[in-house]
Amino acid sequence: MAPEASTSTSHRSVDVLVSKLRRRQVVGSREAALETVKVLRQVVSRAKFSNIDQLVGLIRLVGRRLVEAQPKGNTVRKILHHIREEYNTATKGTASSSSAVSSSKGVFSIANFVLQGQPRKQPVAQKSEAGRTTTTTSMSMSVRENDPHDPDSFAKSLKPVLMEAIQDVLDELETVYDNVSKNAKDHIHSDEIILTIGHSKTVEAFLKSAAHYRSYTVIVAETSPSYSGHEMARSLSSAGISTFLVPDSSIYAIMSRVNKVILGAHAILANGGMFAITGSLLATSAARVHSVPVVVCAGQFKLTPLWNLYHEFGALDFADPSSVLGFEEGRLVGKEVEVVNPYYDYVEPEQVDVFITNDGDHPPSSVYRLIKETYDDEDHEL
Amino acid sequence: MAPPPSLPVQPPNGPESRPPVKAQKEMSKAERRELQEKQRAVKAAAKAGGSSSQPNQKAAAKQAPPPLTSNAMPKKGGKLADTAPPRTPAAPSGRNTRDVKSATAALAENVPMNARGLRIFSHFGLPKPVSLAKGDIHPVILRLALQFSNFKITGANARCIATLTAFKTVIQDYITPPNNTLSRHLMTHLSPQISHLVAARPMSVTMGNAIRQLKLEISGTDIDLPEQDAKKALCQKIDNYIRDRIMVADQVIEETTGNKIKDGDVILTYARSSVVEKVLLGAHSEGRQFSVIVVDSRPMLEGKRLLSVLAEADIHCSYLLLPALGSVITEASMVLVGAHSIHSNGSVYSRAGTALVAMLAKQQSIPVIVCCETYKFSEGVQLDSFTKNELAPLGDTFASFPLTKPRDTLTLVNSPNLEILNPLYDLTPPTSISAVVTEVGVIPPNSIGSIPLALGRLL
Repeated sequence: MAPEASTSTSHRSVDVLVSKLRRRQVVGSREAALETVKVLRQVVSRAKFSNIDQLVGLIRLVGRRLVEAQPKGNTVRKILHHIREEYNTATKGTASSSSAVSSSKGVFSIANFVLQGQPRKQPVAQKSEAGRTTTTTSMSMSVRENDPHDPDSFAKSLKPVLMEAIQDVLDELETVYDNVSKNAKDHIHSDEIILTIGHSKTVEAFLKSAAHYRSYTVIVAETSPSYSGHEMARSLSSAGISTFLVPDSSIYAIMSRVNKVILGAHAILANGGMFAITGSLLATSAARVHSVPVVVCAGQFKLTPLWNLYHEFGALDFADPSSVLGFEEGRLVGKEVEVVNPYYDYVEPEQVDVFITNDGDHPPSSVYRLIKETYDDEDHEL
Repeated sequence: MAPPPSLPVQPPNGPESRPPVKAQKEMSKAERRELQEKQRAVKAAAKAGGSSSQPNQKAAAKQAPPPLTSNAMPKKGGKLADTAPPRTPAAPSGRNTRDVKSATAALAENVPMNARGLRIFSHFGLPKPVSLAKGDIHPVILRLALQFSNFKITGANARCIATLTAFKTVIQDYITPPNNTLSRHLMTHLSPQISHLVAARPMSVTMGNAIRQLKLEISGTDIDLPEQDAKKALCQKIDNYIRDRIMVADQVIEETTGNKIKDGDVILTYARSSVVEKVLLGAHSEGRQFSVIVVDSRPMLEGKRLLSVLAEADIHCSYLLLPALGSVITEASMVLVGAHSIHSNGSVYSRAGTALVAMLAKQQSIPVIVCCETYKFSEGVQLDSFTKNELAPLGDTFASFPLTKPRDTLTLVNSPNLEILNPLYDLTPPTSISAVVTEVGVIPPNSIGSIPLALGRLL
């Protein structure tokens, strides 16, 4: 296929990213998302395509490879969504290209009802039915698809707009921490005791931003076996926040004194549940028993249109068991001893009270709406 | 206050001794002591924080109660130290006093900020170093206290048996002084020994109950009995206590619980309980086929010991740390845990983390069974894990951090704004427990208060 052959160089950057993700050399969801966006930007800039479907197909291919390495294709989906939006603004005529319109034709579903009410960034494609009105982009008239004489004209005319869209995504990713922490001081009050686990950079930025205005105490649970809580405690205490470091076993014991639980998420699922670092289920369950509110801080790039139907407790990724039972205990390993070290926990939507994202605060029950706005339906299965 | 007295007495070059010497003349005894504590804490903090966290902790703990008075102190100490440098001929001593002053001032700033956090947790039993023995402590007791404070003997049953065995030796070596009776004097002889043990590590409920029973037996000794016979009788009573309330009780619990284990069961247990270990080994030797999930956690990581014992017995086991519990809880068919003590409202006081295990299991409708002898019963109701708890010493006492983790990424000592707490116990509410197995039967948690009646005597 022509588009693939021409992107052999960008394939190399995809390979590099895939191997980095596989070996977990990219640490942190935001880093992974940033790298993905940069790679996709390269792919798009070098791509040669004659119509939108080829471009989408190409990006989908890349996305599938990345999802195999680390199952979170959110950034890919987001970029596809932006590309389609830009394309819709640019072309504005062909009814088939507008996904929103095509799906609303004669299909009654609450999803479409929800979509109709959403303000879009560009004028909604429905307006195009009214005929060719003056548009914001000057090149809309000149876009021709599948031009036999000049296969690149479509690509060339569309590319600058697409690059802008991708740059928007990049900017959003880079300012995630600032936007999430914008209203931190409204969520935390003086003399509160906050519990957190592990080392989430989003939560760290959130807490440090609130510390400028309020004085409060944070209790950090160690989160074995990664013990990332130690780093979090050191970082918070060096920012002047009064911190306590406790082992995970005492989460229930101290919960009676805690005012809020603030956690980070790895991925937010379509039903409002989330995947988070192991230990989150303990913290949220104990909080539920003591009626303590649970707040989750996450960037919007963590929203995933997937559901968790078959893995009730999210052991979808495992880490090295030697940090649980080291190799120095060799005589134990020889016998029939199984050592388990899962990476993530699945937390139900009923156990979370609010998600604080860079796009605002949302209860778990409205996560499905966010996903409808951010991603397109066809991209749910890359 | 007025300028320092211009006495010709200048102590020889002791840079740190200069400000206290000057200060002693002006301040009262209590203020002097406080200033010295503060300077000691500052010195300890200045010493790259690692070596001795004890004086730091002690000073920090002492600073917590009088936060207001200590605020006034550094200012006075600072002012006096200020006038000291112009008098000191040696430059390094002047620099040192300035360092001490600035460090003290910095510490004073930290104290009000930390004071609130410290106060909330300040009633926890901070681990104290075993101080010099006051009075005549029997060597057996000295050894036992050291073993307790180094956590070589852990577990409610083990500690109680060790204490009673040590007391047997003490009683054997005891000689009634003239004009005294054994029944009255022995108790006063034992009291300092008991306090020494308590100073090493807070007394467990089992030890408390056993000692109370011992005191009852001692005061009930027949006055006319010759000393050697009285001592032999007491030792016999101690042996009986251990045999009846612990050993035989464990056997009954082992049988009762063993009957509840069926072939194909997956039993989940937390940390290491001596009773649960006996139950599992006993059931396995009777030929039942089951597998065990051992859940473990810092600070003590006792589950590894249980794991090795079970693995030696060829029982199929899984081992995981507490945060991973969510992923395996659905596979368990029964949860077996031990207890440190049970209270009359049915709440169970046991190793920190048990409450989390019981809570998750109950949510999944998995039966939670607590194996507990009746001598662990404690009158009174405990409401949450805060009213009574114990902290483990800081640092890597139990070698519980994995070797794969580089030590400099871990926080093992306190630093400004950061304090490490390792509570050893927590309280499981009766709502998370399905049943308590004792030697008098299987009891639902709300009937625990009737155990004394069931035993026919007041505990």
